Parts: sequence; C-alpha cells; structure tokens
Amino acid sequence: MKKVILALTIFSFFFVACDSDDDNGSVVEPIQSKQFVNLFAPSTGQPGQEAGPFTKFDFETGEVTTSETDWDIAFRATTIAVNGGVVTGTVDEPVRNGEASATIVNGTFASVTTAEGLTFGQDTDGGFAIPTGSDNGWYNYNFMTNLVTPIPGKVLVFKTRNGNYAKIEILSYYKDQDNTQDSRYYTFNYIYNPNTGDTSFE
Amino acid sequence: MGKELYMSVLIVFVFAKTFSQEIVTDTTRVTEMDEVVLTATRTARQLSSLPLPVTLIGKKNIIQSGTIRLDEILNEQTGIITVADESGFEGVQIQGIASDYILILIDGVPLVGRSAGNFDISRLTVGNIKQIEVVKGPSSSLYGSEALGGVINIITEKPKTETLSGSASYRIGSFMQQDINLDIKQRVKNFRYGIFANRFSSDGYDLNSDVDGQTVNPFENYTLNARIYNDFSDKLSLFASARYYNQNQEAGFTLDDTSFEGDSEEEEWNAHLRFDHDFNTKLDLEYELYYTNYTATERLVDPISDDVLTDSNFDQRLLRPEIRGTYIFKNESKLTTGFGFQYDELDRTFFDETVDFTSQYGYVQYDTDLFEKVNLIAGARFDNHSEYSNQLSPKLALRYKITDRIAAKASVGYGFKAPDFRQLYFDFTNSAVGYTVLGYNVAVDKLNELVDQGQIIEVVVPVDELQDPLEAESSIGYNLGATYKAPKWNAEVNLFRNDFQNLIDTRIIARKTNGQNVFSYVNFDEIYTTGVEANLGYTFRDFLTINAGYQLLYAFDKTKEDQVNRGEVFARDPETNQTILVERSEYFGLVNRSRHNVNFKVFCDIPSIDTNINLRLIYRSKYALFDTNGNGLIDDYDTSFVDGFVTTNVSATKTFFKNFDLQIGANNLFDYTDAAIPTLPGIQLYSRLNYNF
Repeated sequence: MKKVILALTIFSFFFVACDSDDDNGSVVEPIQSKQFVNLFAPSTGQPGQEAGPFTKFDFETGEVTTSETDWDIAFRATTIAVNGGVVTGTVDEPVRNGEASATIVNGTFASVTTAEGLTFGQDTDGGFAIPTGSDNGWYNYNFMTNLVTPIPGKVLVFKTRNGNYAKIEILSYYKDQDNTQDSRYYTFNYIYNPNTGDTSFE
Repeated sequence: MGKELYMSVLIVFVFAKTFSQEIVTDTTRVTEMDEVVLTATRTARQLSSLPLPVTLIGKKNIIQSGTIRLDEILNEQTGIITVADESGFEGVQIQGIASDYILILIDGVPLVGRSAGNFDISRLTVGNIKQIEVVKGPSSSLYGSEALGGVINIITEKPKTETLSGSASYRIGSFMQQDINLDIKQRVKNFRYGIFANRFSSDGYDLNSDVDGQTVNPFENYTLNARIYNDFSDKLSLFASARYYNQNQEAGFTLDDTSFEGDSEEEEWNAHLRFDHDFNTKLDLEYELYYTNYTATERLVDPISDDVLTDSNFDQRLLRPEIRGTYIFKNESKLTTGFGFQYDELDRTFFDETVDFTSQYGYVQYDTDLFEKVNLIAGARFDNHSEYSNQLSPKLALRYKITDRIAAKASVGYGFKAPDFRQLYFDFTNSAVGYTVLGYNVAVDKLNELVDQGQIIEVVVPVDELQDPLEAESSIGYNLGATYKAPKWNAEVNLFRNDFQNLIDTRIIARKTNGQNVFSYVNFDEIYTTGVEANLGYTFRDFLTINAGYQLLYAFDKTKEDQVNRGEVFARDPETNQTILVERSEYFGLVNRSRHNVNFKVFCDIPSIDTNINLRLIYRSKYALFDTNGNGLIDDYDTSFVDGFVTTNVSATKTFFKNFDLQIGANNLFDYTDAAIPTLPGIQLYSRLNYNF
C-alpha cells in the first residue's frame, strides 16, 4: 500500500490552547493539520454485502495500523467504523474496545473550529455512527457517472479513543484523487488536537 | 361583416406567402380565411385577438422547413425546446417547464404513453398536419391535468375539394433515414374522408464509439390515420378518426461483457368520435368519445445463453366521453362549458396489478369583449379524481387594444398534474445496486414486507407521514406581454413567471441492511421559472420573411436557493478538492435549462423560378445534465455542463411541372455533435420528392 503523509505544521494557532492550559502550566502541543493520501480500504463481496478486514487508522500516530486496540476509525469500502460502541453486525468487523465516537457537521473544513457542543455517537447494533448509504453519511453515489463523491460540506468530527478531538474532510474516494483510477482509496485532510480534552481545531 | 370579410381576404392574399403570422382584423368572430386557433379557448378564435401567448405553426412552414417529426419543427420556435432527459427520451420544454407538465393533444384529445414522465414527441409525424397550436402557460382551466406548462395541439386537415386530392412523397437522407407519406383527401357531397399513411425508418447513429452499441439504434415506424366527416344536416355533423402507430427499434445492452440483444416495440391506437350539433343559431353542442391505448414492450436476451436481462411491458388505456357546448350571446360574448368522465388504466412491469383512476370534471369559460377595446376570458374547471384531492383550476386573461397596431395581454392561470401511476404504484428494486423505489400508495405495505424480511435497518420517515394522500403538483402561471403588428413588421414580447409547488420527488424513507436506501415519492419541491420571450418578424414584398426569437430563462428551486443564500450549500474546489461555499451567483439553476435560446429564420420565395429557400439557426446556451459534486444542485463547479451550440438548418424546394416538388436540405449543416446531446446527430442531408394530386 502506497502511503504518503504530508505534515503541515501550523504555528499560528497557539493562543486558544494557551488560554485553557495556562493554569496547570503544562506544555501545549501544536494542532496537527495533515493530509493522508490513498488510504486503501478494500472489501470483498458485493456492494451491500461488504466483507473482509477494515483498514484501521490511528489519529495519534497519523498512521494506518493493524493493532486490535490502538485505532480510532476504520474503513472498508464506503463504510467508516469508530472504535467505540459495538459491532453493527456486518461480517469481519473489528471489535470495539475504545470509547471513540463520531458526528457529521455541515460546513467548510475551516468553518468547523471547535468540537464544543457537538453530540457524538458510537456504532451500535442498529448501524454505524457515520451512516452508510448514498446521501446518508459522507458520500453520494451518482447513478449517471457511477462515481462515489464525498458530499461537499460534510465534515466528520471524531472524539478519539484517548479523548482527543479530530476532524476530517474526505477529498476523494479514488486513487490519487483521480476518478478514472481505482476506487476505495481515501484521501482526506484532517486536523488532530493532541491535547487531550481540548475541543479546539485552531 | 362583409367589410371584415373583404378585409380578411385582401390581407390573407397579401400575406399568403408569409408563413406564420397574424391577421390585423380585430374581432372574436372569425372567417375561414383567418388564422384560427382552437386550443386556447376551445372555440375558433383568431390568433391575433387572443389574450394568451400562442404559437401557431402552419403546414406551409412545416413543409418548407423539411421537417418530418414534431420535435424538429417545435424546436425551431421561440421558447420551445426539445431536450433529452437522463433516460435519453426527448421531450419538449416550454417556458422552462419540463415535458411532464405539457399536454399533447391531437384534434383536441390527449395522447398518453410517457416514459418516466417524458412524452417522446418524435413519435409524431407532421405529414398530415394542418397546423400545430401551442398555448403557453397553464391551461388546466380547460384541459385538466398535465396542462401546467402549456398545451400542444396537432390539428389535422379537413378535406375541402370535391376532386380527389392528396400527395405522395419519398424522402431519403443521411443515416439511411427514409420517410414515405401518402395522403388522400376527398369530399363527396356531405361526406368527406382523409387517409394518411407514413413510414419512417433510420439506421440510427453513434456519437460515442468508446461505448458499445449505437447512440440511437435502427428503427422503423408506421403511422396510419383514417378520418371521416359527414354532415347529416345543417345541424348535425360527424367526425371520426382512427389512428395507429407502431415502432420497432433494435435494442442492445452490454453488461459485464455479455451483449444482450432484442427489440423494443411501441404501439398506439387512438379512436376519436365527435358529433357537432348546431342546436340553434345561439347554441353549438359537441358530443365526443375518445379511446386510446399505448403499449411499449422491451425484451433483451443473451443470444448465447438465452438469459433474459429485461422483459418489460407498459400498457396504458384511456377512455373519455365529453360533452361541450358554446352559447353565443347577442353581444357576441361566448359561454363555453363542458363536462366529462375519464377512465385511465395502466398495467406495467414493477406494478403488482393493473391499476386504474377515474375522474369526473366540468368546466366553464366566458369570453367577452368589453368597451370595444378589451377582450376578457374567464374560466374555471373542477376535477374530481379517485386518487388525489379535487382540483379547481381558474384562469383569467385580458387583452387590451391600445392602438390598431399595439395590444397588451395579461393572463394568470392555475395548472396541475395528478400524481402519475408510477409515483403511486411503483415497486422496483435495482438488481445491480440494490436500492428500492416504492410508489406512494403502496409504500407502507411494501415497507412492512421488507421489514418482515429483515431487509431494513431503520425507517427514517415517520410512518404517519406516509399516510396522507399525495397532493397534485400545481403551478400558477403569469404572462404579461405586448404585441405590435404593422404591414411589414410584427413584434411580440412576453414576460412569464411560473410558480410550482408540491412537486413530487423521491426521498429516502428507509435504510436497508445492504447499505442502500428505500425511496418513495413525496411533495416537497417548490420551483419557479421566469423570463422573457421576444419575437420579431419582418416581411419584405411578399417574398422575404425574416424572424428572430429569443428567450431568457431563470429556473430555480426555491428551497435550494434559500439554502444557498443561508450559506448551507458547498462544492469542491476543482484544484484542491477542498470544500468551498457555493455563492448565490454560482447556483446555476435547474437541470437541462439554458439561460438563452435564440432562433433566427429567413424564408425566401422566388415565384419566377417556382423555388423557395430558407435558413434557420437555433442557438441554445450551456446547460447542465445532472449534479456531479454531490450537493444536490447544479452549480458552476459541476462537470456535467453541455456547451452552448448552434444548429443550422437549410432547405430549398423547387416545383416542377406544377405538381412535383423537389426538396433538398441539410439539418445541422455544420455537423455539430456532442456525445452529451444524444438527440443531435451530425449533418443530415436529405432530398425529398413530393407529388401533389
């Protein structure tokens, strides 16, 4: 699996974090703004009856992982699972052993400046926290072009298993962001706040 | 009256060589010489005196233009465009209103047989047409359901001469397009008959060689029409017409490297019987009985394994008796009233059983002249329907004669479209992708079946929301215009606005365990179309006619417009793929709508050499086919835009030995093609020989 991580360190966002952490004097870590390119999320079986292992992702390392426990979100075709709650009942799902949770916010990526006040959900036996199916969650399936397009303005916000906050904007479901190439390759921008419990994204 | 007749004859003589314009006399009473329109009021009315926007296309224009199917000639008129929707079927759009909401009539009775709402007007030959009348704006006050955007009425010719007359023609053109017509008419004392036969065939064409199969597959079709007219007395006459249409088209589809082959067949019957009864000098009555049956079947099989891919059928019938009466008052005001009953039945694939609708209706219309300068038409129709709430459709129209040359027109009307069979009874699951579409009336039962089968994760719409009956789609249309008519010049401008509500669209009602959705129909969309249409005509010394037309159109979804204004709609920057806000100026509007439509036509008669030639240019500005970036609307970032284009059509006709016409022509002279415009083949050259007898 080809994997490229572009780290874009942002220095200009200190002040928000500083305010809340001044009292205990701990070191405030900078917000991480990164892009993950071509996360491959294969699936065996037909659409609607996906099978095979999920590709797990850990926000803390910014890496794909095969760990059974140290992961926050996981991908299989268009389905996104969180490491929180219980298995929804599809085959080959990873066991949830964390307390990660997710929600979807409408807006541009930059406009989602905080996770404050958002209501997060976990995977349940009734379905995934990020709803599956066209136009229900993060993507739209176009019957004319047969393309899966991330719905513009859908920002996925996560609380990680360790209690950190992150937001994701999926840019493409196709390899190298090229619709003519193979599908099931996620490219996404994300912002991760390494300061546990801090809801700010800037 | 004598003076008016004299005037009319004189003017008709002067304008006989022009092709589409109006007569100056200004009265609601008409003579046979005038350009008479039946559709607008259901009585014979002079075109120029009408308070409504009406387009009249005469036989001469149709023949000189070398058009053979209805879509070709309509597409050359201002504010009328033919468009193919996602299904590839070509429908007509008037004032930005889609084919679903436009009623098609032949001699005043409706045609059925739509594919996903679209009426394929290329089904209709123009070989035996006297004229085509197009009334723009809502006309449900006379015609009921479907007449929101307008009414297109095809008028066939009534035989006049005692000698046998008629014509026979053969045309051959590019793509092996062949069109053969035979038309015979005669009057024998009180009895008249007309027989018409047409065969049209083509090898089809291919615009995209990368895709298996042709864009349009080879087809052949036949139209037969027999009409009889009998005057039993001065008081009572009969009109009877039988029409038959049949088309066979090759069909093919490649799925997973298997080529499926087969045919699709369409068949249509129309039987129309009418008695005209002049009860007395004041009261005319018409008793009408109409039956039509439209069937379409398609069967695709793998020729090697005999696996059947599709085997679909569609069988719609309509029966409609109607009685109409027109009472003429002393002051020449007319009161028109009618009532009728309609039985509509459909049996098709993806329906559990044959379903039927019944409706009863009545209408009344008062047409009067006030203070010599004002013509007023007020009318209303009431429809009582078995499947949806009753509809009352009023209409009011006014024409004010400012000077002998200038008149102002204004009209407002209500139009509706009943939920169609598909929206109520569909039960379809896509076998490849796995989504399900359920008609509104069967949604709850079918959904419960799916729940019982364990196919549903979650029902996302409260079930009680699925219980209230689906409302008819409706619109209110406003038209405001002015006309100018001088001996050489004529001009017309019309502002229009149509506000639609309760448009029916699909929404997700449940999520399936396979990750797909269950869709059903709901009333939610509110859209509007607004704009201006303008026409300018110039006639020079009876041999040159120049016409220019323009339509400016804005068509938007009100809900989506509000969402854009509130900053809730996003798109993707094509460079970075990052989300950006869609500005109001970037919301392009509804699919398949062009902002600008222009036509320019020059017709030239050269009597000294028995020849006429013409040039017609039609421009359509860019339009979008579907949303590509997943935000549910068409914005400047979508990639399904079709570039604006011009089609250039020319033809020339020379008459030999008095009775023979030889026509040569080219449609799409500059060979403009785009794989995204499946209905526009490249250049089509043709020649046609016609014999009149």
